[in-house]
Amino acid sequence: MSQQSPARPPDRHRSGARAVLTALAAAVCAGGLWALVTAALTAEARVAVGAAAAATTVLLAGAVYVAVRRSADLAAAEDDAHRAWAELHRAGGRLDAAREELALLVDHTLPAAVTRLREGATAETVLAEVEHPADAAHHRVLRTLVHEIAFGERRRAAATAACANAAGRVQALSTRTLADLRTMEDRCSDDMLGDLLRIDHSTAQTGRTADSIAVLTGARSGRRWTKPITMESVIRGAMGRIGAYQRVRVHSSSANAVAGYAAEDVMHALAELMDNATRFSAPSEEVHIYVEDLHNGAVITIEDGGLGMKPQALARAEAAVSDTQPLDMAMLSGTRLGLAVVGCLARKHRLHVFFRPSSRGGIGVVLRIPNHLITPVREEPFPEPVRRPAPVPAADPAPPGPGAHADQSELPKRPRGATLRAASAPLAPKETRAAVPRPDAGSRFGAFQQSRSRIGDPGGPPAAPPAAADDAT
Amino acid sequence: MNPRDVADEDPDRLYTVTGGRSRADGHGLDLVTLIVSESAPAAGSQSEHVRILRICRDPTSVVELSSELALPVSVVKILLTDLIDTGRASARHPSSAGDPLPDTEFLRKVLVGLRKL
Repeated sequence: MSQQSPARPPDRHRSGARAVLTALAAAVCAGGLWALVTAALTAEARVAVGAAAAATTVLLAGAVYVAVRRSADLAAAEDDAHRAWAELHRAGGRLDAAREELALLVDHTLPAAVTRLREGATAETVLAEVEHPADAAHHRVLRTLVHEIAFGERRRAAATAACANAAGRVQALSTRTLADLRTMEDRCSDDMLGDLLRIDHSTAQTGRTADSIAVLTGARSGRRWTKPITMESVIRGAMGRIGAYQRVRVHSSSANAVAGYAAEDVMHALAELMDNATRFSAPSEEVHIYVEDLHNGAVITIEDGGLGMKPQALARAEAAVSDTQPLDMAMLSGTRLGLAVVGCLARKHRLHVFFRPSSRGGIGVVLRIPNHLITPVREEPFPEPVRRPAPVPAADPAPPGPGAHADQSELPKRPRGATLRAASAPLAPKETRAAVPRPDAGSRFGAFQQSRSRIGDPGGPPAAPPAAADDAT
Repeated sequence: MNPRDVADEDPDRLYTVTGGRSRADGHGLDLVTLIVSESAPAAGSQSEHVRILRICRDPTSVVELSSELALPVSVVKILLTDLIDTGRASARHPSSAGDPLPDTEFLRKVLVGLRKL
């Protein structure tokens, strides 16, 4: 409509001029006729008729002018109406197109863009890839949303990376501390052992917390074992990471081991399940663990005597450990991370976790470790227990300094800290002794020698009664 | 500190091996006490107990057990206390042995031999 207004004044002007011309023509014609009529009249009548003729001519001219103007206006109005109608049609079409475009934007373009952003693409990349809406406003909406979501994703990724990094550092520290503590436990006095074990326990729990954060942020567990870990060690490793491990009773005669690369994760998952079991049952109740070797893997059942779970909580727990639904960080409650961690680990190693009512009144959690993670334990040969056939690696686990063998005329030097390891060195003589049947006292003397060297008193005559002079060396 | 080889480590912490105990009560075990197993290891028992009972078919001292099992002496004592309490092993204290004292001359030889090492 608006584009017609400038065309209007010349139009009106033209129609006005036409009206004036038409009115003049009508006036001339009428005037002519009246002039003929007036010429035929007498002089007296001529004045009156001439006046009337002039009046009617003027009136006619006015009427014609008005009529012509009106008809022109009418035509213009009709034109306007037609144009408006067409415009309305066009607007309706544009509206439909815009609606379709908006639907396309909302249903296809935006979800695709969000998916690409979640995959890590930058806002510019995504905007270059997606189909742009023709409408400027829609385009602005798309741009704003893509930029905002990209910003949110960047922030989330940065926070996750920071958490994973911090967890990794704590993991490394706790692994190191645990190794140091184990070394200290080897040489501490009986009085100190209890204190060291308490610190050891706290450190192990710290390590588990760091492992949990690492797993939730998509990083790896604390460490990798380079050998298969026996089921007993897996269970004990898991027990060592929970607070109330003394309430856990293990019933296992499993002869299997868990592959080294998965052992840490299995232990961690078991620790979380055991922690739940001990936390959600009365402090006086024991938690029982049963290990079974089945044809399709090993099944570990953790049974508690707690209050059990309400159907809603059970459904949530089952969803958390389900091996089909990926972890949704938005569903984390902030305080209960255990089952989410178990779910992550289960999906990683295809462990199967089920919940069922326990015969003890609470919940029984069944963890099945699939066959591809299970290896049978190599039974240690114990034909003659003490006289093991391969003493060499045990005898020299840490090579002494270069001077030790360089000059054979010098006395052998004992490196610091190698005392305990060196205690197994006399296994070599045992090999030779094995051939000769030896009285009981001889072995006692061997033990005595070792104990003296352990205590660090190489000189001095033996205080205990050694015997059997003939085969003491 | 002389850190243990990481590859040799086991995931079991010592407090899980001893069930949370840190002190062996009774039996007066010391480093040179000889341990003899009295029964074959039962199925399903703790692996350390099984190993001790196998090693101790011949009388073995506590300190030897400690190095065989790669466990601290205190922990071995706690494990032995369990076995002795349940009658699966017995302890022979050096003082209880009725063997005659060895020849002094021989002991001197031993001492000389030791010093030559």
